[in-house]
Amino acid sequence: MRRSLLALLVLALTVALVPAAGAQKRGGTLTIVRPTDPVSLEPNLETTAPGAWVYFNMLEGLLALDDKMQIKPALATSYEVMSPTKVRFKLRPNVKFHDGTPFNAAAVKFTYDRALHGKPPARWASLAGSLSGAEMVDDLTVDIVTREPYGPILRTLAMYCMGIVSPAAVQKLGPDFSRAPVGTGPFKFVEWKTNTHVIIERFNDYWGDKALLDRVIFKVVPEEGARMIALQTGDADMVLFPSPAQLPALRTDPKFTVHETTGIRVVFAGLHAGQPPLDDVRVRQALLHAVDRKSIVDNIMEGSAGPARGVLAPGVFGYKDMQLDKLYPFDRARARALLAQAGWTPGPDGILAKGGQKLSLSWLAARGRYPKDGEITEAIQAMFKEVGVEARVQVLEWAAVFQQVRGNPLNHHMFTLGWVTSNADADYSLFALFHSKQAPPAGWNTSRYANARVDTLVEQARRSLNQSEREKLYFEVQDILAREMVWIPVYTTKEIIAARSGVKGFQIHPVEYNLALWKTWLDR
Amino acid sequence: MLTFIVRRLLLALPVLLGVVFVVMLTIDLLPGDAVSLMLGEHATPEAVATLRDHLGLDKPFLVRYLDYVGRVLGGDLGRSIQQNRPVAAELADAWPATLELAAAALLIAAGLGILAGVASAVWPNSLFDALARLGSLFGLSMPIFWTGLVLIVVFSLWLNWLPVGGAGSLRHLVLPAVTLALPSVAMIARMTRSAVLDVLREDYVRTARAKGVGEAWVLGRHALRNACIPILTLIGLQSGQLMGGAVLTETVFAWPGLGRLMVKAIFARDYVLLQGAVLVFALAFVVINLLVDLSYGLLDPRVGRQG
Repeated sequence: MRRSLLALLVLALTVALVPAAGAQKRGGTLTIVRPTDPVSLEPNLETTAPGAWVYFNMLEGLLALDDKMQIKPALATSYEVMSPTKVRFKLRPNVKFHDGTPFNAAAVKFTYDRALHGKPPARWASLAGSLSGAEMVDDLTVDIVTREPYGPILRTLAMYCMGIVSPAAVQKLGPDFSRAPVGTGPFKFVEWKTNTHVIIERFNDYWGDKALLDRVIFKVVPEEGARMIALQTGDADMVLFPSPAQLPALRTDPKFTVHETTGIRVVFAGLHAGQPPLDDVRVRQALLHAVDRKSIVDNIMEGSAGPARGVLAPGVFGYKDMQLDKLYPFDRARARALLAQAGWTPGPDGILAKGGQKLSLSWLAARGRYPKDGEITEAIQAMFKEVGVEARVQVLEWAAVFQQVRGNPLNHHMFTLGWVTSNADADYSLFALFHSKQAPPAGWNTSRYANARVDTLVEQARRSLNQSEREKLYFEVQDILAREMVWIPVYTTKEIIAARSGVKGFQIHPVEYNLALWKTWLDR
Repeated sequence: MLTFIVRRLLLALPVLLGVVFVVMLTIDLLPGDAVSLMLGEHATPEAVATLRDHLGLDKPFLVRYLDYVGRVLGGDLGRSIQQNRPVAAELADAWPATLELAAAALLIAAGLGILAGVASAVWPNSLFDALARLGSLFGLSMPIFWTGLVLIVVFSLWLNWLPVGGAGSLRHLVLPAVTLALPSVAMIARMTRSAVLDVLREDYVRTARAKGVGEAWVLGRHALRNACIPILTLIGLQSGQLMGGAVLTETVFAWPGLGRLMVKAIFARDYVLLQGAVLVFALAFVVINLLVDLSYGLLDPRVGRQG
């Protein structure tokens, strides 16, 4: 089975050759403000956005994801599946690192060895499934090896944090490499002043289309109000994490452009299906009917989030629209009927009861971890009350919620969480969240969902390297989940970036970390 | 004098050890730990265990405390848990900015506060006095983050005179220093007013005036010098306040100082970094108090003789 990425490349080139409205201008400095400083500038120590936004422009992996979430070639030009645990990649010739050393198979092997077998391993090692390393075949051919058959390997290699680093620079800089990384990307590192700014500039020996901007400055402005004022005064050209309250005004102001797209995080109210009363599927279905999800998206999220149509976000490989609006429309009468079927009858205080036990759910939530997480929890609490279900919400700081949700046993019926399918492959979510063996502390099956058929399907899909077969298996998993709902999916995040309208050519990506700036230019 | 200074510095040692103990215990008692926060939602339990072990976080609390103290006494502040960077380097990056901000604010607070206080005392119950009192009330009541944002809106957004935030030039320093100084200006003005008023009622002031001493000399030589001790004590206390306030001011104005470093360390449960920052703050407190005590001796000869 040999498949060339050339066809994709040709397609990409054709699109790029369509003349753009207005000629691109070269040069200039783009100033970006965002709330926090990076932890580090190399993926081994940093997988969160503040660092990823910067290093994504300096380090490249073998593959990348375009803004339609399709795999495209980066440092690899083609691949061939050799065995269920081995994929062979042809590497792009004549590519140089920023320090002038050549990119080759040895650099790929060095990067993965250092990340996966280092002490401690890279922080992204947990994201990479059973990826175990790389073996050199010749100078420009490399075999990527996994411990077991691993279907999501391509999308895993296309993750933002899989950038290949210069072995020479790592040896020369030692621990300081994490503050001044050297890769092959369109921008190279210039300066990092802690808590002030990071500066990168165009790499003139880049193998592909050179970046249009001379420089990019990433400034730290922790205060949301101050960030928005900086955009208005022109101190900043672009704001990451703009204030949602100001977006309606910015959208109508010709001085600004609001870039937005559907993200890959689903925020949901999770249900603990492993214990009464939520082990009864009718009760879970009733709770879905009781929640007016559209109203939450419209009124609480105010357009800064999209509806959740399932447990995955639309950009993810294997996603299927679970038709929740058809299966579980907002309908209090149906909710009450289902609860009555399950034996719950109204008690003296209006709260449903069965055998002297009230239908009272304890609910763990954080505030401020995900957009409006506290508010949506409170809204659903009120909606539950309308059908006679009491929710006892406990709002704690994120670190505390994390510890409890990730622990075993879980002493709550419900929990508010968000989940990013980091490698954009359904395996990442459907396996870790719904396989019966993945209940904490092993994995993230916080709902304690157990279905033998689902277990078989996600295992089979993980072992297969046939992508269309895998897709079918994931569709079936989502069909089963749709019937047995162990989540109330509330919204899919939107990625939103506000910029001055002179910032042209910028394309926002569904994956928050993939902030590509090499096609961006300034018209001023 | 020298023995006094040395004794005071030695006494500071148990204070610093205590501070480190309390901070470390607090971080330990907070829910959530550095490693699971660092590795995020997606970490496997093995990954968490490996990293905890690597960082020595699985050792008992007292062992970690003694380890830390031992290393600090040997001159090593350790490496930050989250960034794996020497804490000394992080602190060296951050503390000059905080010192600059706090010093500028102190200068503004002391200068404006004393001037306004003396003027209010010289013309008590005048229009100026009433306005100064109103201003003080305002300065004391408004939270720093609010004042800061209002100043940004007026001077950056509307007038476009000063940058929104960041550090680097004198223009960058103006807004954060003024914001940080405002509550202290108010305190110092109030204190100066009452201290000077008290002194002006003293017999020796009347005597001075009776023998024909000029009003400026009366104020400067007789009144202010004698009113100095409470004002100076307050300024000393305020310098501590200023460093505390710097946490907020630095956030509003994107000022790259110690306050922001501390907030970051707390959210990441990075106790090594936090300890380092707290140690710098605690040391600054000790030094300021010492300076204030020493200055008493300069201003009031009686203090020196008794001490």
